[in-house]
Amino acid sequence: MKAPWHADDDLLTRYVHGTVGPLDGVSLEQHLTGCADCRVRIATHVDVAPLELVWTRVREQVQAPAPSLVERLLTRFGVSEPDARIVAVAPSLRTSWLLGLAVTLGFVGLGTANGGTRGLTFFLLVAPLVPVAGVAFAYGPDVDPSYEVSVAVPYSAARLLLLRTAAVLATSLPLVLMAALLVPGLSWTAVSWLLPALAFTAVILAVSTWTRPTFAGVGLGIAWACVVGTAALDRDPYAVLAPTPLLVYAATGIAAALVLRLRIRRLTPLGSLS
Amino acid sequence: MTAATTVELTGITKKYRGTTALDAIDLAFQPGITGLLGPNGAGKTTLLRIIATVLSPDAGEVRLLGRTPATPDELAQVRRQLGYQPQEMGFPRAFTGFGFVDYMAVLKEWTARAPRHNEVRRVLDLVDLGEVATKRVRTLSGGQRRRVALAQALLGDPHLMLLDEPTTGVDPEQRVSLRQVLSRAGERSTVLLSTHQTEDVAALCDRVVVLDQGRVRFDGAVQDLVATAAGRVWLADAPDPAARASWRTGTGKHRNVGEVAPSGSERTEPTLEDAYLLLLGDRALTTEVAA
Repeated sequence: MKAPWHADDDLLTRYVHGTVGPLDGVSLEQHLTGCADCRVRIATHVDVAPLELVWTRVREQVQAPAPSLVERLLTRFGVSEPDARIVAVAPSLRTSWLLGLAVTLGFVGLGTANGGTRGLTFFLLVAPLVPVAGVAFAYGPDVDPSYEVSVAVPYSAARLLLLRTAAVLATSLPLVLMAALLVPGLSWTAVSWLLPALAFTAVILAVSTWTRPTFAGVGLGIAWACVVGTAALDRDPYAVLAPTPLLVYAATGIAAALVLRLRIRRLTPLGSLS
Repeated sequence: MTAATTVELTGITKKYRGTTALDAIDLAFQPGITGLLGPNGAGKTTLLRIIATVLSPDAGEVRLLGRTPATPDELAQVRRQLGYQPQEMGFPRAFTGFGFVDYMAVLKEWTARAPRHNEVRRVLDLVDLGEVATKRVRTLSGGQRRRVALAQALLGDPHLMLLDEPTTGVDPEQRVSLRQVLSRAGERSTVLLSTHQTEDVAALCDRVVVLDQGRVRFDGAVQDLVATAAGRVWLADAPDPAARASWRTGTGKHRNVGEVAPSGSERTEPTLEDAYLLLLGDRALTTEVAA
Protein backbone atom coordinates (compact mmCIF):
# COMPACT_ATOMS: atom_id res chain seq x y z
CA MET A 1 0.00 0.00 0.00
CA LYS A 2 1.39 3.41 -0.94
CA ALA A 3 2.03 5.69 2.00
CA PRO A 4 -0.22 8.84 1.88
CA TRP A 5 2.40 11.22 3.38
CA HIS A 6 6.14 11.59 3.96
CA ALA A 7 7.92 12.56 7.13
CA ASP A 8 9.75 15.87 6.98
CA ASP A 9 13.46 16.18 7.74
CA ASP A 10 12.85 17.83 11.09
CA LEU A 11 10.76 14.91 12.32
CA LEU A 12 13.30 12.40 11.04
CA THR A 13 16.15 14.26 12.72
CA ARG A 14 14.34 14.48 16.04
CA TYR A 15 13.45 10.80 15.85
CA VAL A 16 17.05 9.79 15.23
CA HIS A 17 18.22 11.94 18.13
CA GLY A 18 15.51 10.58 20.42
CA THR A 19 13.84 13.96 21.00
CA VAL A 20 10.54 13.23 19.30
CA GLY A 21 7.43 12.77 21.46
CA PRO A 22 6.11 9.26 22.11
CA LEU A 23 2.99 9.68 19.97
CA ASP A 24 4.89 11.10 17.00
CA GLY A 25 7.54 8.42 17.46
CA VAL A 26 5.06 5.55 17.29
CA SER A 27 3.34 7.16 14.35
CA LEU A 28 6.63 7.57 12.49
CA GLU A 29 7.69 4.00 13.19
CA GLN A 30 4.38 2.75 11.85
CA HIS A 31 4.84 4.93 8.77
CA LEU A 32 8.39 3.74 8.17
CA THR A 33 7.28 0.12 7.97
CA GLY A 34 5.26 0.96 4.86
CA CYS A 35 7.26 3.77 3.23
CA ALA A 36 10.48 2.85 1.46
CA ASP A 37 11.21 6.48 0.55
CA CYS A 38 11.24 7.58 4.19
CA ARG A 39 13.35 4.57 5.17
CA VAL A 40 15.94 5.69 2.63
CA ARG A 41 15.78 9.29 3.88
CA ILE A 42 16.05 8.43 7.56
CA ALA A 43 19.15 6.37 6.80
CA THR A 44 20.91 9.57 5.76
CA HIS A 45 20.26 11.04 9.22
CA VAL A 46 21.85 8.10 11.03
CA ASP A 47 25.53 8.03 11.95
CA VAL A 48 26.49 4.55 10.73
CA ALA A 49 29.90 4.45 12.44
CA PRO A 50 28.59 3.29 15.85
CA LEU A 51 26.33 0.76 14.13
CA GLU A 52 29.21 -0.61 12.10
CA LEU A 53 31.29 -0.85 15.24
CA VAL A 54 28.56 -2.83 16.96
CA TRP A 55 28.14 -5.04 13.90
CA THR A 56 31.88 -5.68 13.75
CA ARG A 57 31.87 -6.67 17.43
CA VAL A 58 28.95 -9.00 16.87
CA ARG A 59 30.73 -10.65 13.94
CA GLU A 60 33.91 -10.91 15.98
CA GLN A 61 32.06 -12.71 18.75
CA VAL A 62 30.35 -15.06 16.34
CA GLN A 63 33.11 -15.74 13.82
CA ALA A 64 36.43 -15.66 15.67
CA PRO A 65 37.22 -19.23 16.72
CA ALA A 66 37.62 -19.93 20.41
CA PRO A 67 41.25 -20.72 21.29
CA SER A 68 42.00 -24.38 21.88
CA LEU A 69 43.17 -25.75 25.23
CA VAL A 70 46.78 -25.77 24.01
CA GLU A 71 46.48 -22.19 22.76
CA ARG A 72 45.08 -21.04 26.10
CA LEU A 73 47.86 -22.80 27.99
CA LEU A 74 50.55 -21.33 25.75
CA THR A 75 49.25 -17.78 26.08
CA ARG A 76 49.01 -18.26 29.84
CA PHE A 77 52.72 -19.10 29.82
CA GLY A 78 53.54 -15.94 27.94
CA VAL A 79 53.52 -17.12 24.32
CA SER A 80 52.04 -14.46 22.03
CA GLU A 81 48.59 -15.07 20.58
CA PRO A 82 49.82 -15.44 16.95
CA ASP A 83 52.61 -17.85 17.95
CA ALA A 84 50.20 -19.86 20.12
CA ARG A 85 47.86 -20.07 17.12
CA ILE A 86 50.58 -21.43 14.88
CA VAL A 87 51.91 -23.88 17.43
CA ALA A 88 48.52 -25.31 18.36
CA VAL A 89 47.76 -26.27 14.76
CA ALA A 90 50.33 -29.09 14.88
CA PRO A 91 48.62 -32.50 15.03
CA SER A 92 50.93 -33.59 17.85
CA LEU A 93 49.83 -30.64 19.98
CA ARG A 94 46.10 -31.17 19.71
CA THR A 95 44.15 -32.18 22.75
CA SER A 96 43.27 -35.55 21.18
CA TRP A 97 46.96 -36.39 20.63
CA LEU A 98 47.88 -35.41 24.18
CA LEU A 99 45.02 -37.43 25.65
CA GLY A 100 46.04 -40.45 23.55
CA LEU A 101 49.64 -40.00 24.65
CA ALA A 102 48.63 -39.80 28.31
CA VAL A 103 46.61 -43.03 28.05
CA THR A 104 49.43 -44.81 26.19
CA LEU A 105 52.01 -43.71 28.74
CA GLY A 106 49.69 -44.80 31.52
CA PHE A 107 49.76 -48.34 30.13
CA VAL A 108 53.53 -48.12 29.59
CA GLY A 109 53.98 -47.03 33.20
CA LEU A 110 51.84 -49.87 34.52
CA GLY A 111 53.76 -52.33 32.34
CA THR A 112 57.04 -50.95 33.66
CA ALA A 113 55.92 -51.26 37.26
CA ASN A 114 54.58 -54.78 36.92
CA GLY A 115 56.15 -56.29 33.83
CA GLY A 116 59.67 -57.01 35.02
CA THR A 117 62.45 -56.87 32.42
CA ARG A 118 60.00 -56.99 29.56
CA GLY A 119 58.08 -54.01 30.95
CA LEU A 120 61.27 -52.06 31.46
CA THR A 121 62.36 -52.83 27.91
CA PHE A 122 59.05 -51.48 26.66
CA PHE A 123 59.51 -48.28 28.67
CA LEU A 124 63.05 -47.81 27.34
CA LEU A 125 61.79 -48.37 23.82
CA VAL A 126 58.96 -45.86 24.08
CA ALA A 127 60.22 -43.06 26.35
CA PRO A 128 62.94 -41.50 24.14
CA LEU A 129 60.75 -41.81 21.05
CA VAL A 130 57.77 -39.88 22.44
CA PRO A 131 59.22 -36.41 21.68
CA VAL A 132 60.57 -37.74 18.38
CA ALA A 133 57.05 -38.78 17.33
CA GLY A 134 55.74 -35.41 18.50
CA VAL A 135 58.23 -33.50 16.36
CA ALA A 136 57.67 -35.83 13.37
CA PHE A 137 53.96 -35.02 13.54
CA ALA A 138 54.40 -31.31 14.14
CA TYR A 139 55.52 -30.07 10.75
CA GLY A 140 55.81 -31.05 7.10
CA PRO A 141 53.84 -32.14 4.07
CA ASP A 142 52.82 -35.47 5.60
CA VAL A 143 50.96 -33.95 8.53
CA ASP A 144 49.87 -30.53 7.27
CA PRO A 145 47.26 -30.65 4.49
CA SER A 146 47.82 -26.96 3.78
CA TYR A 147 51.60 -27.34 3.75
CA GLU A 148 52.11 -26.14 0.17
CA VAL A 149 50.38 -22.83 0.70
CA SER A 150 51.91 -22.39 4.15
CA VAL A 151 55.38 -22.62 2.59
CA ALA A 152 54.69 -19.56 0.42
CA VAL A 153 54.43 -17.21 3.40
CA PRO A 154 57.00 -14.93 5.04
CA TYR A 155 56.71 -16.60 8.47
CA SER A 156 59.99 -18.37 9.16
CA ALA A 157 59.75 -22.15 8.81
CA ALA A 158 62.67 -22.46 11.21
CA ARG A 159 60.88 -20.45 13.87
CA LEU A 160 57.71 -22.45 13.31
CA LEU A 161 59.48 -25.80 13.68
CA LEU A 162 61.45 -24.73 16.75
CA LEU A 163 58.37 -23.28 18.45
CA ARG A 164 56.44 -26.47 17.83
CA THR A 165 59.38 -28.58 18.99
CA ALA A 166 59.58 -26.61 22.22
CA ALA A 167 55.86 -27.07 22.73
CA VAL A 168 56.16 -30.80 22.02
CA LEU A 169 58.92 -31.15 24.60
CA ALA A 170 56.98 -29.06 27.12
CA THR A 171 53.86 -31.20 26.76
CA SER A 172 55.29 -34.69 26.23
CA LEU A 173 58.29 -34.86 28.58
CA PRO A 174 56.26 -34.27 31.77
CA LEU A 175 53.92 -37.07 30.73
CA VAL A 176 56.83 -39.46 30.16
CA LEU A 177 58.40 -38.38 33.44
CA MET A 178 55.17 -39.26 35.24
CA ALA A 179 55.24 -42.71 33.62
CA ALA A 180 58.92 -43.00 34.62
CA LEU A 181 57.94 -42.59 38.26
CA LEU A 182 56.60 -46.14 38.01
CA VAL A 183 60.04 -47.54 37.15
CA PRO A 184 60.79 -49.93 40.04
CA GLY A 185 63.01 -48.42 42.69
CA LEU A 186 63.05 -44.99 41.06
CA SER A 187 66.50 -45.74 39.68
CA TRP A 188 68.69 -43.58 37.46
CA THR A 189 66.71 -45.06 34.54
CA ALA A 190 63.74 -42.89 35.52
CA VAL A 191 65.54 -39.80 34.20
CA SER A 192 68.50 -41.00 32.14
CA TRP A 193 66.25 -41.69 29.15
CA LEU A 194 65.99 -37.91 28.84
CA LEU A 195 69.45 -37.80 27.29
CA PRO A 196 68.66 -40.01 24.27
CA ALA A 197 65.24 -38.31 24.01
CA LEU A 198 66.82 -34.86 23.70
CA ALA A 199 69.59 -36.17 21.43
CA PHE A 200 67.05 -37.79 19.12
CA THR A 201 65.01 -34.59 19.07
CA ALA A 202 68.09 -32.71 17.90
CA VAL A 203 68.75 -35.42 15.31
CA ILE A 204 65.21 -35.28 13.85
CA LEU A 205 65.44 -31.49 13.62
CA ALA A 206 68.82 -31.70 11.88
CA VAL A 207 67.70 -34.41 9.46
CA SER A 208 64.55 -32.38 8.68
CA THR A 209 66.79 -29.91 6.87
CA TRP A 210 67.34 -32.64 4.27
CA THR A 211 64.13 -34.65 4.27
CA ARG A 212 60.66 -34.81 5.77
CA PRO A 213 60.41 -35.01 9.57
CA THR A 214 58.25 -38.12 9.29
CA PHE A 215 60.97 -39.95 7.33
CA ALA A 216 63.53 -38.91 9.93
CA GLY A 217 61.22 -40.01 12.74
CA VAL A 218 60.60 -43.44 11.22
CA GLY A 219 64.34 -43.93 10.66
CA LEU A 220 65.14 -42.99 14.25
CA GLY A 221 62.38 -45.23 15.55
CA ILE A 222 63.68 -48.25 13.66
CA ALA A 223 67.27 -47.60 14.73
CA TRP A 224 66.31 -47.19 18.40
CA ALA A 225 64.13 -50.32 18.30
CA CYS A 226 67.14 -52.27 17.00
CA VAL A 227 69.35 -50.92 19.79
CA VAL A 228 66.83 -51.67 22.54
CA GLY A 229 65.93 -55.03 20.98
CA THR A 230 69.57 -56.09 20.87
CA ALA A 231 70.02 -55.15 24.53
CA ALA A 232 66.83 -57.01 25.46
CA LEU A 233 68.02 -60.14 23.65
CA ASP A 234 71.16 -59.98 25.79
CA ARG A 235 68.81 -59.81 28.83
CA ASP A 236 70.27 -56.45 29.80
CA PRO A 237 67.98 -53.61 28.65
CA TYR A 238 69.74 -51.26 31.08
CA ALA A 239 72.75 -51.48 28.79
CA VAL A 240 71.25 -48.82 26.49
CA LEU A 241 71.60 -46.35 29.36
CA ALA A 242 75.08 -47.37 30.42
CA PRO A 243 77.70 -44.57 30.69
CA THR A 244 79.27 -45.26 27.31
CA PRO A 245 75.99 -45.16 25.32
CA LEU A 246 74.99 -42.04 27.24
CA LEU A 247 78.19 -40.38 26.09
CA VAL A 248 77.39 -41.42 22.52
CA TYR A 249 73.89 -39.91 22.79
CA ALA A 250 75.33 -36.69 24.19
CA ALA A 251 77.90 -36.46 21.39
CA THR A 252 75.26 -37.26 18.78
CA GLY A 253 72.93 -34.62 20.19
CA ILE A 254 75.64 -31.96 20.22
CA ALA A 255 76.66 -32.82 16.64
CA ALA A 256 73.02 -32.71 15.50
CA ALA A 257 72.53 -29.35 17.21
CA LEU A 258 75.56 -27.97 15.37
CA VAL A 259 74.27 -29.29 12.05
CA LEU A 260 70.88 -27.78 12.79
CA ARG A 261 72.50 -24.45 13.59
CA LEU A 262 74.24 -24.47 10.22
CA ARG A 263 71.30 -25.69 8.14
CA ILE A 264 68.22 -24.40 9.99
CA ARG A 265 67.22 -22.20 7.06
CA ARG A 266 67.13 -25.14 4.70
CA LEU A 267 64.09 -26.97 6.00
CA THR A 268 62.40 -29.65 3.92
CA PRO A 269 62.06 -28.40 0.35
CA LEU A 270 58.68 -28.84 -1.22
CA GLY A 271 60.38 -30.36 -4.23
CA SER A 272 60.24 -33.69 -2.46
CA LEU A 273 56.44 -33.54 -2.77
CA SER A 274 56.42 -33.75 -6.52
CA MET B 1 63.89 -5.72 -17.60
CA THR B 2 61.34 -2.92 -17.84
CA ALA B 3 60.31 -1.08 -14.70
CA ALA B 4 56.89 -2.66 -14.66
CA THR B 5 58.08 -6.25 -14.99
CA THR B 6 57.22 -8.11 -11.81
CA VAL B 7 58.05 -11.68 -12.82
CA GLU B 8 61.02 -12.56 -14.98
CA LEU B 9 61.84 -16.18 -15.77
CA THR B 10 64.92 -17.08 -17.78
CA GLY B 11 65.67 -20.58 -18.99
CA ILE B 12 63.50 -22.26 -16.36
CA THR B 13 63.75 -26.05 -16.54
CA LYS B 14 62.17 -28.58 -14.22
CA LYS B 15 62.19 -32.36 -14.55
CA TYR B 16 60.44 -35.07 -12.56
CA ARG B 17 62.13 -38.47 -12.74
CA GLY B 18 63.15 -37.96 -16.33
CA THR B 19 59.92 -36.26 -17.44
CA THR B 20 60.46 -32.65 -18.45
CA ALA B 21 57.73 -30.50 -16.91
CA LEU B 22 59.28 -27.19 -18.02
CA ASP B 23 61.81 -26.92 -20.79
CA ALA B 24 63.94 -23.75 -20.76
CA ILE B 25 61.01 -21.38 -20.33
CA ASP B 26 61.57 -17.65 -20.82
CA LEU B 27 58.68 -15.48 -19.68
CA ALA B 28 58.10 -12.07 -18.16
CA PHE B 29 54.91 -10.72 -16.59
CA GLN B 30 53.69 -7.25 -15.73
CA PRO B 31 50.70 -6.05 -13.68
CA GLY B 32 47.43 -7.26 -15.16
CA ILE B 33 45.82 -10.65 -15.53
CA THR B 34 47.54 -13.32 -17.59
CA GLY B 35 45.83 -16.61 -18.31
CA LEU B 36 47.82 -19.82 -18.42
CA LEU B 37 46.22 -22.41 -20.67
CA GLY B 38 47.35 -25.87 -21.59
CA PRO B 39 46.36 -29.52 -21.35
CA ASN B 40 46.97 -31.50 -18.19
CA GLY B 41 50.70 -32.07 -17.83
CA ALA B 42 51.61 -28.97 -19.83
CA GLY B 43 53.59 -27.54 -16.91
CA LYS B 44 51.17 -24.86 -15.67
CA THR B 45 51.13 -26.00 -12.05
CA THR B 46 54.90 -26.48 -11.99
CA LEU B 47 55.36 -22.97 -13.37
CA LEU B 48 53.10 -21.47 -10.70
CA ARG B 49 54.83 -23.46 -7.94
CA ILE B 50 58.20 -22.12 -9.03
CA ILE B 51 56.94 -18.54 -9.12
CA ALA B 52 55.28 -19.12 -5.73
CA THR B 53 58.75 -19.99 -4.36
CA VAL B 54 57.60 -23.40 -3.13
CA LEU B 55 59.54 -25.32 -5.77
CA SER B 56 63.05 -24.79 -7.06
CA PRO B 57 63.80 -25.07 -10.77
CA ASP B 58 66.53 -27.45 -11.89
CA ALA B 59 67.96 -24.69 -14.08
CA GLY B 60 67.28 -21.08 -14.91
CA GLU B 61 66.84 -17.80 -13.09
CA VAL B 62 63.76 -16.46 -11.32
CA ARG B 63 63.34 -12.78 -10.50
CA LEU B 64 60.21 -11.73 -8.63
CA LEU B 65 59.19 -8.18 -7.79
CA GLY B 66 62.70 -7.00 -8.58
CA ARG B 67 64.40 -9.55 -6.32
CA THR B 68 66.17 -12.85 -6.77
CA PRO B 69 64.64 -15.06 -4.07
CA ALA B 70 67.81 -17.00 -3.34
CA THR B 71 68.50 -15.97 0.26
CA PRO B 72 66.03 -16.38 3.14
CA ASP B 73 65.73 -12.63 3.54
CA GLU B 74 64.99 -12.04 -0.14
CA LEU B 75 62.57 -14.96 -0.08
CA ALA B 76 60.68 -13.47 2.86
CA GLN B 77 60.52 -10.08 1.14
CA VAL B 78 58.98 -11.66 -1.96
CA ARG B 79 56.57 -13.80 0.05
CA ARG B 80 55.27 -10.73 1.88
CA GLN B 81 53.84 -9.57 -1.46
CA LEU B 82 52.67 -12.95 -2.68
CA GLY B 83 49.24 -14.55 -2.72
CA TYR B 84 49.13 -18.19 -3.79
CA GLN B 85 46.22 -20.53 -4.32
CA PRO B 86 47.50 -24.02 -5.15
CA GLN B 87 45.63 -26.40 -7.42
CA GLU B 88 44.90 -28.85 -4.62
CA MET B 89 44.57 -27.54 -1.14
CA GLY B 90 43.80 -29.35 2.07
CA PHE B 91 42.69 -27.78 5.30
CA PRO B 92 43.78 -28.73 8.83
CA ARG B 93 41.10 -30.68 10.66
CA ALA B 94 38.45 -28.78 12.60
CA PHE B 95 39.24 -25.38 11.07
CA THR B 96 36.34 -23.09 10.22
CA GLY B 97 36.60 -20.90 7.14
CA PHE B 98 37.37 -17.92 9.36
CA GLY B 99 39.81 -19.95 11.45
CA PHE B 100 41.78 -21.13 8.43
CA VAL B 101 42.06 -17.72 6.79
CA ASP B 102 42.99 -16.28 10.20
CA TYR B 103 45.72 -18.92 10.55
CA MET B 104 47.06 -18.01 7.12
CA ALA B 105 46.94 -14.33 8.07
CA VAL B 106 49.14 -15.08 11.09
CA LEU B 107 51.60 -16.88 8.80
CA LYS B 108 51.53 -13.76 6.61
CA GLU B 109 52.65 -11.71 9.61
CA TRP B 110 49.36 -10.10 10.55
CA THR B 111 50.17 -10.18 14.23
CA ALA B 112 47.74 -7.66 15.76
CA ARG B 113 44.44 -9.45 16.36
CA ALA B 114 41.92 -6.69 15.56
CA PRO B 115 43.29 -5.58 12.17
CA ARG B 116 43.96 -9.21 11.29
CA HIS B 117 40.37 -10.20 11.96
CA ASN B 118 39.12 -7.18 10.01
CA GLU B 119 41.24 -8.28 7.05
CA VAL B 120 39.99 -11.86 7.34
CA ARG B 121 36.40 -10.60 7.30
CA ARG B 122 37.18 -8.40 4.30
CA VAL B 123 38.55 -11.21 2.14
CA LEU B 124 35.82 -13.64 3.20
CA ASP B 125 33.21 -11.03 2.23
CA LEU B 126 34.99 -10.53 -1.10
CA VAL B 127 34.47 -14.18 -1.98
CA ASP B 128 30.93 -14.18 -0.52
CA LEU B 129 31.73 -16.50 2.34
CA GLY B 130 30.92 -14.15 5.21
CA GLU B 131 27.78 -16.07 6.09
CA VAL B 132 29.41 -19.48 6.26
CA ALA B 133 32.65 -18.31 7.89
CA THR B 134 31.84 -20.17 11.11
CA LYS B 135 31.27 -23.53 9.39
CA ARG B 136 34.02 -26.10 9.37
CA VAL B 137 35.83 -26.06 6.04
CA ARG B 138 35.36 -29.80 5.63
CA THR B 139 31.59 -29.38 5.71
CA LEU B 140 31.63 -26.79 2.91
CA SER B 141 31.00 -27.64 -0.74
CA GLY B 142 33.91 -27.99 -3.16
CA GLY B 143 33.18 -24.57 -4.64
CA GLN B 144 33.07 -22.97 -1.20
CA ARG B 145 36.39 -24.58 -0.27
CA ARG B 146 37.92 -23.15 -3.45
CA ARG B 147 36.69 -19.74 -2.34
CA VAL B 148 38.24 -20.19 1.11
CA ALA B 149 41.50 -20.99 -0.68
CA LEU B 150 41.12 -17.88 -2.82
CA ALA B 151 40.30 -15.74 0.23
CA GLN B 152 43.63 -16.53 1.87
CA ALA B 153 45.42 -15.62 -1.37
CA LEU B 154 43.73 -12.21 -1.31
CA LEU B 155 44.98 -11.34 2.19
CA GLY B 156 46.74 -8.00 2.19
CA ASP B 157 46.11 -7.26 -1.51
CA PRO B 158 49.40 -8.86 -2.64
CA HIS B 159 51.31 -7.46 -5.61
CA LEU B 160 51.70 -10.92 -7.11
CA MET B 161 48.81 -13.38 -7.17
CA LEU B 162 49.20 -16.94 -8.41
CA LEU B 163 45.91 -18.74 -8.79
CA ASP B 164 45.73 -22.36 -9.90
CA GLU B 165 42.24 -23.28 -11.07
CA PRO B 166 40.47 -20.75 -8.79
CA THR B 167 37.03 -21.20 -10.35
CA THR B 168 36.93 -25.00 -10.56
CA GLY B 169 33.75 -26.29 -8.93
CA VAL B 170 32.35 -22.80 -8.48
CA ASP B 171 28.77 -22.24 -9.67
CA PRO B 172 28.15 -19.77 -12.54
CA GLU B 173 26.79 -16.99 -10.31
CA GLN B 174 29.78 -17.20 -7.98
CA ARG B 175 32.12 -17.40 -10.94
CA VAL B 176 30.88 -14.04 -12.19
CA SER B 177 31.32 -12.63 -8.68
CA LEU B 178 34.86 -13.98 -8.49
CA ARG B 179 35.65 -12.50 -11.90
CA GLN B 180 34.80 -9.08 -10.48
CA VAL B 181 37.15 -9.68 -7.56
CA LEU B 182 39.96 -10.87 -9.83
CA SER B 183 39.51 -8.07 -12.34
CA ARG B 184 39.87 -5.53 -9.54
CA ALA B 185 42.98 -7.33 -8.31
CA GLY B 186 44.41 -7.22 -11.84
CA GLU B 187 44.20 -3.42 -11.88
CA ARG B 188 47.04 -3.11 -9.35
CA SER B 189 48.68 -6.56 -9.17
CA THR B 190 50.22 -9.15 -11.40
CA VAL B 191 47.73 -12.01 -11.49
CA LEU B 192 48.63 -15.33 -13.10
CA LEU B 193 45.59 -17.47 -13.59
CA SER B 194 46.05 -21.11 -14.51
CA THR B 195 42.81 -22.61 -15.73
CA HIS B 196 41.09 -24.98 -18.09
CA GLN B 197 38.20 -22.53 -18.41
CA THR B 198 38.80 -20.65 -21.67
CA GLU B 199 35.74 -18.49 -20.94
CA ASP B 200 37.45 -17.21 -17.76
CA VAL B 201 40.53 -16.29 -19.77
CA ALA B 202 38.44 -14.57 -22.44
CA ALA B 203 36.49 -12.66 -19.79
CA LEU B 204 39.39 -11.62 -17.56
CA CYS B 205 42.79 -11.72 -19.18
CA ASP B 206 44.75 -9.15 -21.14
CA ARG B 207 47.24 -11.78 -22.14
CA VAL B 208 47.30 -15.54 -22.53
CA VAL B 209 50.20 -17.98 -22.42
CA VAL B 210 49.59 -21.46 -23.79
CA LEU B 211 51.90 -24.14 -22.47
CA ASP B 212 52.30 -27.58 -23.97
CA GLN B 213 54.79 -30.25 -22.97
CA GLY B 214 56.71 -27.76 -20.90
CA ARG B 215 57.12 -25.22 -23.65
CA VAL B 216 55.41 -21.96 -24.56
CA ARG B 217 53.24 -22.50 -27.62
CA PHE B 218 51.63 -19.07 -27.63
CA ASP B 219 52.23 -15.85 -25.74
CA GLY B 220 50.22 -12.78 -26.62
CA ALA B 221 46.94 -10.93 -26.42
CA VAL B 222 43.79 -13.00 -26.12
CA GLN B 223 42.33 -11.46 -29.27
CA ASP B 224 45.52 -12.34 -31.17
CA LEU B 225 45.10 -16.00 -30.23
CA VAL B 226 41.43 -15.86 -31.22
CA ALA B 227 42.42 -14.28 -34.52
CA THR B 228 44.54 -17.31 -35.39
CA ALA B 229 41.28 -19.27 -35.71
CA ALA B 230 39.61 -16.78 -38.05
CA GLY B 231 38.32 -18.56 -41.14
CA ARG B 232 38.77 -22.01 -39.59
CA VAL B 233 35.48 -22.45 -37.76
CA TRP B 234 32.31 -23.47 -39.57
CA LEU B 235 28.72 -24.30 -38.79
CA ALA B 236 27.35 -27.22 -40.80
CA ASP B 237 24.43 -29.61 -40.75
CA ALA B 238 26.70 -32.60 -40.15
CA PRO B 239 29.95 -33.27 -38.30
CA ASP B 240 33.09 -33.09 -40.40
CA PRO B 241 35.30 -36.18 -39.95
CA ALA B 242 38.32 -34.16 -41.07
CA ALA B 243 37.81 -31.44 -38.44
CA ARG B 244 40.08 -31.11 -35.39
CA ALA B 245 36.97 -31.04 -33.27
CA SER B 246 33.29 -31.16 -34.02
CA TRP B 247 30.23 -31.02 -31.82
CA ARG B 248 26.51 -30.44 -32.09
CA THR B 249 25.43 -27.05 -30.78
CA GLY B 250 22.14 -26.12 -29.17
CA THR B 251 20.81 -24.84 -32.50
CA GLY B 252 21.19 -28.28 -34.08
CA LYS B 253 24.10 -27.14 -36.24
CA HIS B 254 27.51 -28.80 -35.90
CA ARG B 255 30.45 -26.59 -35.04
CA ASN B 256 33.48 -27.81 -36.98
CA VAL B 257 36.91 -26.54 -36.06
CA GLY B 258 39.51 -27.37 -38.68
CA GLU B 259 41.52 -26.34 -41.68
CA VAL B 260 39.05 -27.19 -44.45
CA ALA B 261 35.48 -25.98 -44.89
CA PRO B 262 32.97 -28.84 -44.83
CA SER B 263 30.55 -28.85 -47.76
CA GLY B 264 27.46 -26.74 -47.23
CA SER B 265 28.90 -25.01 -44.22
CA GLU B 266 28.93 -21.37 -43.25
CA ARG B 267 31.89 -19.63 -41.65
CA THR B 268 31.40 -18.36 -38.10
CA GLU B 269 33.25 -16.21 -35.59
CA PRO B 270 35.88 -18.14 -33.66
CA THR B 271 36.14 -18.25 -29.89
CA LEU B 272 39.19 -18.61 -27.67
CA GLU B 273 38.32 -22.27 -27.25
CA ASP B 274 38.38 -22.78 -31.03
CA ALA B 275 41.77 -21.12 -31.28
CA TYR B 276 43.10 -23.22 -28.39
CA LEU B 277 41.91 -26.43 -30.05
CA LEU B 278 43.51 -25.45 -33.34
CA LEU B 279 46.77 -24.45 -31.68
CA LEU B 280 47.23 -27.67 -29.77
CA GLY B 281 45.40 -30.05 -32.06
CA ASP B 282 44.82 -33.49 -30.57
CA ARG B 283 47.01 -32.62 -27.57
CA ALA B 284 44.30 -30.25 -26.34
CA LEU B 285 42.10 -33.28 -25.79
CA THR B 286 44.65 -35.54 -24.10
CA THR B 287 45.88 -35.97 -20.54
CA GLU B 288 49.49 -36.27 -19.51
CA VAL B 289 51.20 -37.52 -16.40
CA ALA B 290 53.46 -34.66 -15.32
CA ALA B 291 52.12 -31.84 -13.16
